[in-house]
Amino acid sequence: MARRALVFAALVAALLAAVVCSLAFGAVKVPISEVIDIVFGKGGSATDVQIVETLRLPRTVEAMLVGAALGVAGAILQGALGNPLASPDVIGVTGGAGFGAILIIIVLPGSIALLPLTALAFGLLAATMVFAFAWSGRNRGSVGKVVLAGIAVLSLFTAGTTGLLAAFPERAPSAIFFIAGGLTSSGWRDLETVWPYFAAGFFVALFLIRPLDRLALGDDVAASLGSRPQVIRLGAGIAAALLAAASAAIAGLLGFLGLVVPHVVRMAGGTSSHTYVVPASAIGGAALLAGADTLARTLRAPIEMPVGPFMVVLGVPLFLWLLRKAV
Amino acid sequence: MASGEGQSRRWGSLRRTHGPMGVAGGPPEASPPPALLDARDVEVEIAGVPILRGADLGVEAGELVAIVGPNGAGKSTLVRAVSGMQKPSGGSVFWSGRALGEMRGRELARLRAFVPQRMPVPNGVSVREAVTIGRSSHLKPLRRLTGEDRDGVEHAMERARVTRFADRDLTTLSGGELQRVQIAIGLAQEAPVLIADEPTSQLDLGATIGVAGLLRDLAGSGLAVLLVVHDLALAAAVADTVVVVSEGRTVATGPAAKVLTSERLTEVWKAEAHLTEHDGRTALHVAWLKGDDVRSP
Repeated sequence: MARRALVFAALVAALLAAVVCSLAFGAVKVPISEVIDIVFGKGGSATDVQIVETLRLPRTVEAMLVGAALGVAGAILQGALGNPLASPDVIGVTGGAGFGAILIIIVLPGSIALLPLTALAFGLLAATMVFAFAWSGRNRGSVGKVVLAGIAVLSLFTAGTTGLLAAFPERAPSAIFFIAGGLTSSGWRDLETVWPYFAAGFFVALFLIRPLDRLALGDDVAASLGSRPQVIRLGAGIAAALLAAASAAIAGLLGFLGLVVPHVVRMAGGTSSHTYVVPASAIGGAALLAGADTLARTLRAPIEMPVGPFMVVLGVPLFLWLLRKAV
Repeated sequence: MASGEGQSRRWGSLRRTHGPMGVAGGPPEASPPPALLDARDVEVEIAGVPILRGADLGVEAGELVAIVGPNGAGKSTLVRAVSGMQKPSGGSVFWSGRALGEMRGRELARLRAFVPQRMPVPNGVSVREAVTIGRSSHLKPLRRLTGEDRDGVEHAMERARVTRFADRDLTTLSGGELQRVQIAIGLAQEAPVLIADEPTSQLDLGATIGVAGLLRDLAGSGLAVLLVVHDLALAAAVADTVVVVSEGRTVATGPAAKVLTSERLTEVWKAEAHLTEHDGRTALHVAWLKGDDVRSP
């Protein structure tokens, strides 16, 4: 228990540090003391107030939300499917959202404002297809069926995306930022569109924590305790689809975060209990994305780079180091 | 319980409770409390193949009922069907007078606990945490454990004799210890009936004795225990009542000595064997190499 508390404290500290850096650093550096004053409404220079409040604060909130959402989506999917390789990719969301976004970027570049909603819609469509196939016929809702249907649907949408990129090669470069995954300084506009999906996803995930702990002891124990394993899996799939599709709408394809963060917190905390893993994945995911996004826009400022590769650079060494020590 | 008369008495009392002639016949205070489990003519089809073709099962407080039968006879399917984990395609199942199909999961969890043969073992989960998960059927969503719940967890661990290693991780336990933890998880539900599906099939002799003794003691303390078991000598030693399942039907119910006769062992298991009991020790004497003679007379 002490170890979990320690990891939690470390994650919260990392998140606070990442948030402060995210607000302070960028093309213009705002002193940390001033950032704190601005956040608590105690003033600061007019330009800095504008930079922090209208550009960096929304972006930092987006990074935290998306990071937390992907961490939670991965944690509940891995728990529900009992599969360490599960991530939002597995239920098709990433592939669908990617196709939706590329469709707008390449075919309808004039309607770029529709990108978040289209990515969200196609992400949810892909997940719905996975669930529809996995929950039909015999053995409905089994882990094997979900994973196989997910891989099939993912392939379908990935093929569509690749087809679009191949058909319009001259427009492909503008799609790279979305595919690599990155946040933008577009203020609160994107969040105003997709926040209900985040809220719904987090809300369902909250109610899944205890049922997922039951499921960890097997379908039979969960059923003995009055849960329905297939309903838990479906609920986890729906919550993860909402969280991952909303994330893709805002920040592109960052599926890696959902795969790795839950493993990192599990290995660091030494437990797979969901009362710990789900909230820890939320905080860890938020810290990782906020930190990586700060790096992505400061290293070559004022040029912004996609955050996906930075997240991998930060996350993979930690993941491999923990993996080496894991049982 | 006595075989023939006891059986008819038990089913008879149930009929008065549930039958069409039923409760209207007498004043409410005179009617006996409903049986903990009353399952009749249970049928299960899986993918169109009949697995259970009409099986009866009942258990009373303080009774240990062993369900025996050859591989594929439908023993596990029977306990899974009455537990609500496998949808029956026919028959009736009542738990404490409530129809199985009309109950929500949480309600059913208060009436019966199901202990599987072997549960998956998650990393980094201690025995106490696992038993606490067993208690979660008492909790409303998002509610925290109360002091009463924590006492329930400790009590379940004491009854299953796992308190000694309560803080160890599940991954460090032996097969016998893990099986006792599974029973503790079931006990944490505080249901009046505990169903154990082949709890000893992967255990060595000493661990089997430990688990069998534990289940017998639990029945002695008033719990109703349904035990699916392959070992007939073990069933004869621990059970008050033995239920023989063969080809999807319950073909005999009663004390081991009356039910597990040489004729039945030949008929159901195609084995030349007889069961002996002396001073609490049971043995199955098998003509191991005569199987073919029995199978093709």
